[in-house]
Amino acid sequence: MARQYELNDASVVVVIGSGAGGGTLSNELAQKGIDVVCLEAGSRLTLADVVNHPPTMDARMGWHDKRIGMAPWICKTVGGTTMRWSGATPRFQEHELKALTTYGQFDGGTTLIDWPMTLDELAPYYDKAEDKMGVSGTHGIPPSAETNNYKVLAAGGKRIGYKEITSSRMAINPQARNGRPGCQQISFCNSGCAIGAKWSTLYTEIPAAELTAHFELRTQSMAVKINHDDSGRVSGVVYRDADGTLHEQKARAVAVAGNVVETTRILLNSNSSRFPDGLGNSTGHVGRNYTRHMFGAAIAKMPKPVNYHRGARQTGIIFDEQYHDPERGFAGGYELQSIALDPWGTSSSIGGWGPDHTVFTDNYTHLAGIFITGEDPPESVNRISLHATERDENDLPVPVIEYRDHPNSLAMREHSLKQSRALFESLGATHFWGGDAPVGCHNMGVARMSANPRDGVANRWGQAHDIDNLFISDGSAFPTSAAGNPTLTIVALAIRQADHIAERMTQKTL
Amino acid sequence: MQEEQTTRRRFIVAALAFSGVAAPLGSTWLKSAAAWAADDDAGLDELGRMAQLLFPHEGLDDRVYGGIMSTVMETTTDDQATQAMLDAAANTLDAARETSWLDLGAEEQFAVLQELQDQPFFAGIRETVRFHLYYHPDLWKHIDYPGSSKEFGGYIRRGFNDIAWLPEDE
Ligand SMILES: Cc1cc2nc3c(=O)[nH]c(=O)nc-3n(C[C@H](O)[C@H](O)[C@H](O)COP(=O)(O)OP(=O)(O)OC[C@H]3O[C@@H](n4cnc5c(N)ncnc54)[C@H](O)[C@@H]3O)c2cc1C
Ligand code: SF4
Repeated sequence: MARQYELNDASVVVVIGSGAGGGTLSNELAQKGIDVVCLEAGSRLTLADVVNHPPTMDARMGWHDKRIGMAPWICKTVGGTTMRWSGATPRFQEHELKALTTYGQFDGGTTLIDWPMTLDELAPYYDKAEDKMGVSGTHGIPPSAETNNYKVLAAGGKRIGYKEITSSRMAINPQARNGRPGCQQISFCNSGCAIGAKWSTLYTEIPAAELTAHFELRTQSMAVKINHDDSGRVSGVVYRDADGTLHEQKARAVAVAGNVVETTRILLNSNSSRFPDGLGNSTGHVGRNYTRHMFGAAIAKMPKPVNYHRGARQTGIIFDEQYHDPERGFAGGYELQSIALDPWGTSSSIGGWGPDHTVFTDNYTHLAGIFITGEDPPESVNRISLHATERDENDLPVPVIEYRDHPNSLAMREHSLKQSRALFESLGATHFWGGDAPVGCHNMGVARMSANPRDGVANRWGQAHDIDNLFISDGSAFPTSAAGNPTLTIVALAIRQADHIAERMTQKTL
Repeated sequence: MQEEQTTRRRFIVAALAFSGVAAPLGSTWLKSAAAWAADDDAGLDELGRMAQLLFPHEGLDDRVYGGIMSTVMETTTDDQATQAMLDAAANTLDAARETSWLDLGAEEQFAVLQELQDQPFFAGIRETVRFHLYYHPDLWKHIDYPGSSKEFGGYIRRGFNDIAWLPEDE
């Protein structure tokens, strides 16, 4: 069972974060017999702690440390944001991994690069990730059950000519599998799945790692700084425990998976005389090229009841717009996905007030919803940095988050909302709202992989160009955003990275 | 850009509502809502009426709106920022016309709100009301939203796929 390692045991790999990236990497390494200490800032919930009341769950598992700017809506808890996510798990596409080659730079100083790997190279890891996460419609797993809201999406999609429509590609068990039950359509997926039908590292990767006896999870352990030795290799991680006491865990290698804001903060906050601008930052890319997808949302009042609150928050994707054709007035593509929101979520998305607003909320049972996720280009001005003077309750510099939509994203959003409107109106929708959804669920790019060290922070394995025993293991490592939801790719890259780390250790080059 | 700033503000305020104002939603909530309900003669005061005009649900008991605002006032007595926001709302509404805002007709009340919607206090109150109203059990009942479902086994046998009016063209 679970091990306990000494603070001065320098043979362990320290993984920072227990979410999609960190939880998966930890388990993959532990399965190979590599000793891992996972530092997790949050505490450990059980399924019994999950109630169907979003504000209560936000208080239990949300990340509330101070930020300046548009903070992403992420979690501080064992399992990270896999406790809150919806489970949509499409693969990225070939042309998206060659973003620069396919699109060229956009006007206004974008910083696109190609991924330092091909889709063929990634495909076997996508297979492993889908199998691990139980993605519906893959590896013999049936499609997800079609909810009312999905049926609206699919019927309207067909009416306006879409063909690539699926209820699958969800990391939610349609039926019992690997010790987890099938989805009961409880519907509060974004506040934790009360029965564990939706994949979260809390009840998959973490307990599996604990069974290996090569793994220790330290909860309420906030990593604040990564130390290095005289040769410039990382040597340990300083963290703050629940009582506020600082400790240093020695390490053979360190992997950072704090979900972009925290990944940036820990790299920048680990500056030293040798690395005055922070770790991995000799080319100044840490914190830059932050992408969070072109997001859009559409809500329509349909002629008859939909009851979109019944069933999984998201089920189903339309892929038809995920291609590159500058004729549409923008580069890259997007996906249309069904989404359901509770009354408050519905009301806040639509925004505004008065009778124009309540025509939607008063007809809650008649609403249908679409969530749009599309490719947004990296720009060096979209970035996370540390405030020069302001510090938070952990005595850490407060992160400053700056993000703006590129005109390409605005054009794409307009197109996607026009399509969403046509889709709903083809079924007789009487009222339509469409707009931005600036919630920062998908976070990518601030410590990206690049073939050329000049263009990024890490190599094709997520290993820092500057420091060979420092790894980036979350969405931060994405060179560009592609269109689809990021987590399947985060997990696939973590599995691939674990293979690389193990191989380097066997070769005694790590 | 204007649009973008508004949306941004909206979400920031919503996030504030989530982390801050959400906390008192416990026993205090029940107590004061019950106290309000017992007071039969209570017409809507200024803030209650504002809440109602912000999110008008025809047929929803006035006391839901009044209860929300009194809960907010009671649970934030030590919170200077919220109290200042509530004071600013009452004062600004009354200063808008010769007559006090509450004595104006419904259309004129609405017109005043439209004029004031870019004032700093407005978004704060709007988001506070939005939060409390759309997590209010009586509002849920009014719009046929049943709330928590895990204790009923979800919707797998309760209509998650019962839609029957969609065209079957293909
Ligand atoms: C509402 C919502 C819906 C979503 N739906 C989808 C979806 O349908 N499909 C999809 O692909 N993605 C979705 N996502 C995104 C998905 O949740 C993330 O992509 C994924 O969780 C990111 O994994 P991660 O490991 O990078 O970060 P996380 O899962 O957030 O994990 C990071 C962990 O690191 C910990 N941590 C951070 N800093 C420190 C530190 N200094 N010391 C110790 N621990 C630290 C955190 O507490 C956290 O547990 C959604 C997100 C949200 C908010
Ligand atoms: S709808 Fe399914 S996945 Fe979502 S919370 Fe309920 S049981 Fe879990």
